[in-house]
Amino acid sequence: MSKLGKHHPHIQVLQNDLESGGISRRDFLRTATLLGVSASAAYAMAGLAPQAMARAEAAVKGGKLRVASRLGDISDPHTYSWGQQIFVRQCLEQLTLTGNDNVTRPQLLEKWEASDDLKTWTLYLRKDVSWARDGRPFTADDVVWNLKRALDPATGSSTVGLFAGFIMENYETDETDDSGAKKKGQRLWRDDAITKLDDHTVVLNGKAPNLAIPESLFHQQLFMMDPADGGTFGIGSNFTGPYEIVEYEQGQRCLMQARSDYWGDGPYMEALEWVDLGDDPNAHLAALASNQIDGWPSVDNAALPAVQKLSGMKVYEALTANTGAVRMRVDEPPFDDPRVRRAMRCAVDTTAVLQFGLGSLGYEGEHHFVSKVHPEYAQIPRITRDVEKAKRLLEEAGHPDGIDAKLYLKSSPAWESQVVQTMIEQWKEAGIRIEMNPVPAAQYWEVWKKVPLGFTDWNHRPLGIMLYGLCFRTNGSWNESGYSNPEFDKALLEAEGQLDVNKRRETMAVLEQIMLDDGPVVQPVFRSIYGIYTDRLKNFTMHPTNYNYYKDVWLEAV
Amino acid sequence: MLLYLLRQFSAVVFTLVAASFIIFLLVESSPGNVARKTLGPFATDAQVTILYERLNLDDPIIVRYGRWAGVLLGLNADPLADPELELNFEDSRGHKYIGNFGFSTMMKVPVADVIGARLVNSLWLAGLAVFCIVPLSLLIGTLGGLFAGRPIDRGLTIFSSVVASVPEFASAVILMSIFVLWLGWLPGTSPLQQGGTWPIHLQYILPVTVLTLYVTAYVSRFIRTSIKEVMASAYIRTAILKGLPWRRVVFVHAFRNAMIAPFTVILLQINWLISGVVVTEVVFAYPGIGRLLLEAALFGDIALIEAAALIAVCIAVSTQLIGDIGYMVLNPRIRFT
Repeated sequence: MSKLGKHHPHIQVLQNDLESGGISRRDFLRTATLLGVSASAAYAMAGLAPQAMARAEAAVKGGKLRVASRLGDISDPHTYSWGQQIFVRQCLEQLTLTGNDNVTRPQLLEKWEASDDLKTWTLYLRKDVSWARDGRPFTADDVVWNLKRALDPATGSSTVGLFAGFIMENYETDETDDSGAKKKGQRLWRDDAITKLDDHTVVLNGKAPNLAIPESLFHQQLFMMDPADGGTFGIGSNFTGPYEIVEYEQGQRCLMQARSDYWGDGPYMEALEWVDLGDDPNAHLAALASNQIDGWPSVDNAALPAVQKLSGMKVYEALTANTGAVRMRVDEPPFDDPRVRRAMRCAVDTTAVLQFGLGSLGYEGEHHFVSKVHPEYAQIPRITRDVEKAKRLLEEAGHPDGIDAKLYLKSSPAWESQVVQTMIEQWKEAGIRIEMNPVPAAQYWEVWKKVPLGFTDWNHRPLGIMLYGLCFRTNGSWNESGYSNPEFDKALLEAEGQLDVNKRRETMAVLEQIMLDDGPVVQPVFRSIYGIYTDRLKNFTMHPTNYNYYKDVWLEAV
Repeated sequence: MLLYLLRQFSAVVFTLVAASFIIFLLVESSPGNVARKTLGPFATDAQVTILYERLNLDDPIIVRYGRWAGVLLGLNADPLADPELELNFEDSRGHKYIGNFGFSTMMKVPVADVIGARLVNSLWLAGLAVFCIVPLSLLIGTLGGLFAGRPIDRGLTIFSSVVASVPEFASAVILMSIFVLWLGWLPGTSPLQQGGTWPIHLQYILPVTVLTLYVTAYVSRFIRTSIKEVMASAYIRTAILKGLPWRRVVFVHAFRNAMIAPFTVILLQINWLISGVVVTEVVFAYPGIGRLLLEAALFGDIALIEAAALIAVCIAVSTQLIGDIGYMVLNPRIRFT
């Protein structure tokens, strides 16, 4: 492992590659910061100006910012699933933070270091962070407790899927299933996998190299809670962030008050008020128009033309890897045959789906989940629509008359139905007769891993390999298609540990090609996401996953 | 009289028990595993299996209904409150109390904590709407009935027909466009939050107006027809011919008899105003029981759906009972049969 204060040996290689033009500045930034170089140093090395930070001298302190948000149960941060993380992150913080520029920086950490082989990660905690309620310092014990809790399968956190290849192992439990076979479980691969070195240092001892650990530490569920709260969060719970929840009425309102002794910059707004206006875009529009709220972070695509006409407002757009895809269970006929899955992809015209299904509010998908915003994106030949080829593939698979199937999807949001409807019309020409079966979201989440054919939306992740780990790794926690391909798993493990950007991209090309030839998804589009805020809001930039930090913003005086 | 009331009351109790069973049957038989719904979509299969076994969800539906009714009547504790399940469900009222609808799995709190405030909000909305609907309907309906066929009646008929045929979501958007976007006189939503730029009383205006327009148009048509029929009856003709003042004929003789049919309609509307105004509550983000029921249904929150539906049934049978008593007051013939 490199010594404290020195950079990972691969940084010099990266610098040389950057100078010789072997890698782009963006590649350099992403990899150098992951290897522990601070964002400002990495920007300087790359000859770039750091992203504009809060201009404190111009900031206005005080006031209240009112933002629309659904306000449901927030009691278990390690299992958040529907967007609680958007507002709770103003109170609970994470070890790292992947910014709007997709560069990962320390948040509760001071810095991190990776061993040369990327198997050992040393996390150095900030020494100036304290818990708001009792002033107790934030220590390594807190980090170890939170990581172990999130990685305990009994907790039910999807964090397990992200860290499975790095630090978890499969084992046979004492319990047996209906057939008498021993049930499989997952656990940390050894007792000292997560270890406290001293009060402000934690070491992660992995079994395999993994470059994405700092970004995985920014996973939407991996908040740092006070162990004394036992994994639950609410009014009265401890926190390290800039805001404290003082009122919380589920489904109605949440009031957050600024903390005066916050360890970092800000907060500038004295209070944040979150208002639950339900799911109806008309209600949000009306609330914005009558100045009942100052912002709507997740504008419904259908409402975009109307919100753009509101005066005194500014629309923000984030280019993301947010997507939705039709996924096929690989153990259910007819989708157990890779030729059928390829036929499904061949029969789709992604340009038309983007235009008619999404109103061109995004960009085309390539059926392999990795997007041009991902740093490891490898450009490989795309699948273009070929109806004859699709028919041929179906015939070879023993379906000369085509196939019939029922596709489950959520009844809202509307863009999902529109995208699916466009594809259904295109599939018809190839003899693929799909019946759409929209169900309420709650019902969909009950069957999303079971139905032979479903449409699932996926949030933006900063790295393509993070999505691969969650969705397509054998036994991945969100592997809804039951996909299992040893060749894919091997290449993914290799990509996770590859430092050389160009080599990693070569491995990604292999992974992407596997997805095109054998993969379980039809992924026609990536979506842009939009937010709207009063034009009095200053120093705000939109995060691709809407993980905005409102401590850095202020409202200009009227 | 007492016997009549007892008979009616027994019918109400029987209806409630039957309705509660049907609601329980429908909700529990909806697609999906009850344990999965309780734990949420991202729980592991192992967690779901454990909860399924501990809640004895394999038992016949009648046994499960008995358990649920026992919890509601305060005879049993809600099994979800069992600390061994590690669901962290706690109820400050204790484990056994009458009116225990269990825990909302969507909100992870006792249903009683959620539903009370929402019901009060809906009662306020309904009360204000009824306060506007009744006098307006009486005025419009009576004028139409008294001047049937004349220009004033035709004008009111056109107004009522147009307003009744515009669905609530459309009238809400039209009113919003005028009073929120164009004139800027009113708030666009009604989350009933103090401290914003709009006081709470102004937040009631648009939803109440939407409901009032919709229901008034409907009820006033009934009143018009009823008044018109009564005014054409022999006893009214006699009253007019014997020289009674016209005002006395209308308000003392005609009005009481003309109110019997519209009275039923108004009572039915009260039921709808409290539990069926989902569209209005959603469009205006009003925190009432209708919006709560919709969200519970979309989430699959069994306890909340059961509670909201049962409350709706209670309101329905109560208004029916009030209606029956009202008939007796209005019509002596019913009283003595």
